[in-house]
Amino acid sequence: MDATVLRTLLNQVLSLTIEHIVLVAVSCGSAVVIGVAVGIASTRHAGMRRISVAVASVLQTIPSLALFGFLLPIPLIGGIGRHTAILCLILYSLLPILRNTIVGIAGVERPVREAAIAMGMTDRQLLRMVELPLAAPTILAGIRIALVTNIGTAVIAAIIGAGGLGVLIFRGVASVNTLEIMAGAIPAAVLALIADAGMSLLERRMARP
Amino acid sequence: MEGRRILEDLSFGVERGETLVLLGQSGSGKTTALRLINRTLDATSGRICIDGRDIRQLDPIELRRSIGYVIQDFGLLPHWTVEENVSLVPRLLGWEMDKRRRRARELLNQVGLDYQEVHQRRPYRLSGGQKQRVAVARALAAEPGLLLFDEPFGALDPVTRHEMQQQFLILRKQYNVASVFVTHDLLEALALATRIAVLDRGKLEAQVTPGEFITLRTPVARSFLDTLPSGLLDRCAD
Ligand SMILES: Nc1ncnc2c1ncn2[C@@H]1O[C@H](COP(=O)(O)OP(=O)(O)OP(=O)(O)O)[C@@H](O)[C@H]1O
Ligand SMILES: [Mg+2]
Repeated sequence: MDATVLRTLLNQVLSLTIEHIVLVAVSCGSAVVIGVAVGIASTRHAGMRRISVAVASVLQTIPSLALFGFLLPIPLIGGIGRHTAILCLILYSLLPILRNTIVGIAGVERPVREAAIAMGMTDRQLLRMVELPLAAPTILAGIRIALVTNIGTAVIAAIIGAGGLGVLIFRGVASVNTLEIMAGAIPAAVLALIADAGMSLLERRMARP
Repeated sequence: MEGRRILEDLSFGVERGETLVLLGQSGSGKTTALRLINRTLDATSGRICIDGRDIRQLDPIELRRSIGYVIQDFGLLPHWTVEENVSLVPRLLGWEMDKRRRRARELLNQVGLDYQEVHQRRPYRLSGGQKQRVAVARALAAEPGLLLFDEPFGALDPVTRHEMQQQFLILRKQYNVASVFVTHDLLEALALATRIAVLDRGKLEAQVTPGEFITLRTPVARSFLDTLPSGLLDRCAD
């Protein structure tokens, strides 16, 4: 193989990696905002909790490939391209974040919550000063799961034309080109490892008493 | 939620400088009575007044900030330092940082803790007795006119407990507060109360001064008196 082919491939890996990171960052960021917000609301209303957890659980059980497929024919939100992929990745990341937000807040010890209310905290103050700080390690653990899974799932986004490292893998598989498969798979794995390590570092920071 | 009545026919009053002790067995409704007063529970019927005003007319948040409450399991915030815990209500009331600091230092010393030693610690690095002291300091922080103490000295050794009780009497005088004090320790009740209300499964069995208590013949009062070492009362009577 000559140098120019290699250089082209390398450039491609670089730009697709960036595309991949953007896909993951946008979808995960949105999932965090939605998941934490709905999670908080779910600790305030039992009805909301039942519905949100049920919906997120069902979404999670749909194989990711099928979820991409389902969204394709839906007008406005569906269709080929990046926005459909991002929507799918958001839906797919919601459950761990939502669930961990609920579990984390529910895990605040009763006397602690009782004391905070008895001292005269409003519901907002209770949330901001007590529940969220104490739930933070648990919520971060949920985000970590969502993020790492998301990096893998985003590979499939290439199938509906959203770009990312999946492009190389699918092309490699189609043309039985191991080098191309590796060129897509290795950066994806490295991204996942970096994300995992970074998040666990952050988690330990937060959990430190 | 409809259900069993936890408290019934309960009536008492307490003035500044006085301590009403709620004495009763476990499950008799002592904590529930305190929670009604700061409106973390609302009574299904009846009336509670502070300074002549029905508490249902007051904003519950402001009401709670104006009452010093030591809850039964302290409930110190585990992620806050001792100083931050003590400064909680002043912070909610919007006091300046400097003022909160000064107040925390003063209070921690008043409850017998070394400010320099403990103010930066998290609650998990305190002994049970130290936690109780912090919870008492937190309740006093914003100079409330009413104190609700729910077995605040329960987990203390007898010597420290006695010391805290003496401290309580000093603070009561110094701040001229009204207090409702829950305990199931008769000796503590006798030492601190200006009046003792005996609770029997949610009902007021008797309400007496400590001096009158030893003459009571009602069942719960009797069973509490029976816990005293025999002969002690005879000696008191002499
Ligand atoms: N949240 C609750 N829901 C239903 N019942 C409750 C609740 N809290 C307390 N009770 C019941 O109310 C009764 C009185 O409880 P309370 O906590 O006031 O007792 P207590 O006198 O403080 O007891 P202890 O000395 O053990 O603290 C008990 O029978 C208890 O089971
Ligand atoms: Mg109790």
